[in-house]
Amino acid sequence: MEIFPALLSVITDPTLLFAIVLAAVVGMVVGATPGLTASAAIAMLLPITFYMSPIFALAFLYVIGKSGRYGGSIAAILFNTPGTAASAATQIDGYPLARAGKAGKAMKVATISSIIGDLMGDILLVIGVGFIAAIALKLGPPETFAIYFAAFVVIGSVIGNSIVKGLASALLGILIAMVGLDPISSEERYTFGSFDLSNGVGLVPLMIGVFVLGEVFAQLDTRRKATDETEENESTEDGNSLTWEEYKPCLPHALRGGFIGAGIGVLPGLGSAIAAFISYGEGKRRAKNAEMWGKGALEGVAAPEAANNAVSGPSMAPLLTLGIPGSTIGAILLGVFLIHGIQVGPTLFLTDKELVYKLFACGMLGILAYGLIGYFGATQVARLILKIPTNVLYPLIFLTAFVAAYSARGSMFDVTVMTFAGFAGWLMRKYDFNVAAFVISFVLAKGAEETFRQSLLMSEGGAMIFVERPIALAFIIVGLAALAFRIRGIVKERRIARGGLEDA
Amino acid sequence: MRAYTEGLVLALISLFALWGAWQVPAPSPGDTWAGIVPFSAALALLALSGVMLLGATRQTAGDTGNDQDSGATLQIIGLFIIALVYQQSFRWFGYLLPTAIAAPVVLSIFGVRSRIGLALSVVLCPLIFHLIFFVLLGVFPPYGEVFDLLSWIQG
Repeated sequence: MEIFPALLSVITDPTLLFAIVLAAVVGMVVGATPGLTASAAIAMLLPITFYMSPIFALAFLYVIGKSGRYGGSIAAILFNTPGTAASAATQIDGYPLARAGKAGKAMKVATISSIIGDLMGDILLVIGVGFIAAIALKLGPPETFAIYFAAFVVIGSVIGNSIVKGLASALLGILIAMVGLDPISSEERYTFGSFDLSNGVGLVPLMIGVFVLGEVFAQLDTRRKATDETEENESTEDGNSLTWEEYKPCLPHALRGGFIGAGIGVLPGLGSAIAAFISYGEGKRRAKNAEMWGKGALEGVAAPEAANNAVSGPSMAPLLTLGIPGSTIGAILLGVFLIHGIQVGPTLFLTDKELVYKLFACGMLGILAYGLIGYFGATQVARLILKIPTNVLYPLIFLTAFVAAYSARGSMFDVTVMTFAGFAGWLMRKYDFNVAAFVISFVLAKGAEETFRQSLLMSEGGAMIFVERPIALAFIIVGLAALAFRIRGIVKERRIARGGLEDA
Repeated sequence: MRAYTEGLVLALISLFALWGAWQVPAPSPGDTWAGIVPFSAALALLALSGVMLLGATRQTAGDTGNDQDSGATLQIIGLFIIALVYQQSFRWFGYLLPTAIAAPVVLSIFGVRSRIGLALSVVLCPLIFHLIFFVLLGVFPPYGEVFDLLSWIQG
């Protein structure tokens, strides 16, 4: 019930409303621009939030994340280039619709489905987050460490093509987080006598480096390989409007997608791309017109779009209740909480409950904002994006990364960290390592270490404490089972591929 | 070949991390060792690099890349060197002068050929970034130890 006073409070605050609308526009443009991601935009804007009130900063970045997820569909449908990984599923049916002169219709289906999915996710978050926080309060260090362990394994193994590289990325993130003074004994680790290193590697410069500068390096690579120009597909008179009769068959797919996205969103690391493809596959399996899917079915746009956006709200649940970010955007938002001295975890609901519900309210209003802008102006946004000169945009982003990294703490060391992190981020992308696993593990590492060592102290040095306590054991099994399923899946895929080759 | 290189680089990183963790002093009685997590993580990374090397031996042929790839890589390494010089120049010359030089260089790397545009970037980029971050947001600008254009302008 806390959400209603929070909604009222946000609606009556003109500056917050302005932040929400601005964030909806920024997110949509960023999400729709191929090569730019909401994560990069949020990371770049992160230092600016030092100078804002916590709720303004959080609402602004949270809505950019939401709107950015939706914005990806604009590029997927209109330009045949998914703006985000998640919108690649939307592209399968969205682009054929656009080619058939129904770009406007497809965009409207994507917008309505995104609103449905996102609102479903947020409502489930509001209902469930209090329960999760209450349970989280009862967990001891061994259980919390087991959750961290499961998160590391799931994040490292499930995202990306290679389990080994995913897990290696997660371990690299942990090792980088270990640089500096040990928070318990104050012993120096990996400092090599440097005063700057004894303060550790900052979250903000690392994020800006990996997501912003790393992306600029990657774009330089992409620009050399790109050969064709991006063109917008125009709608015919009939292809621009959407009737209730046309959307009616899409509704069950949007609702199912919403539940799939919300379920996947709660699990750390899985993300919206997986949700979108599962929802698409499930939708196609149940569809009456399955033969039309892939050739331009409106339902094929509704199913992935709803799931993709439904991930957004529930992915905040592990972040707010356990301090475990479920996505890269969650990891960056954790940075905002830390910048403003707000401790994320189960106690957040005791100390800053009002702030949390206000954030949820901002998220819901953000959905309405991007929904309205998208429904009536998606094609105008697309035209705007086509006018953005990327050869000017990326140099400006390059320059912004340096001044943004410096602004966070006024530290030149942070700028150096950002520069190296940028190059490392590009190398990781180039060699198919998992950037998301690296960053999320970096964020999780300190908390995991603290709970691990507290557990060892509780058991006087024995690691059996993680096996003797049933909840801890259950989470460790969940992590290992996720890894085993992933290995099984890959082996199966390889066997099929080998079989296919032999058949050929 | 690429898989071998990746495995070897990871192995080297993990050995370095193991050595670094080993430098952490032993714990005081009743405490836990501060190096336990970095040591465990480095050990796990070493194991993974072993798996990668093992996988590399099973691969029959490696991808060698092409001229376009190596051209792009060289360009990115060039941009990285510019980034390193640019950030180091903040310490020597403050923010304005390095940005005035870096802006047209980076724009030209990304294909901007308009002379007027490049000339404008020399003035506009440092001016706009300075106004946003150091005037509007109130961040204290980095001071150039050798020469600071901002101090010179301000007299």
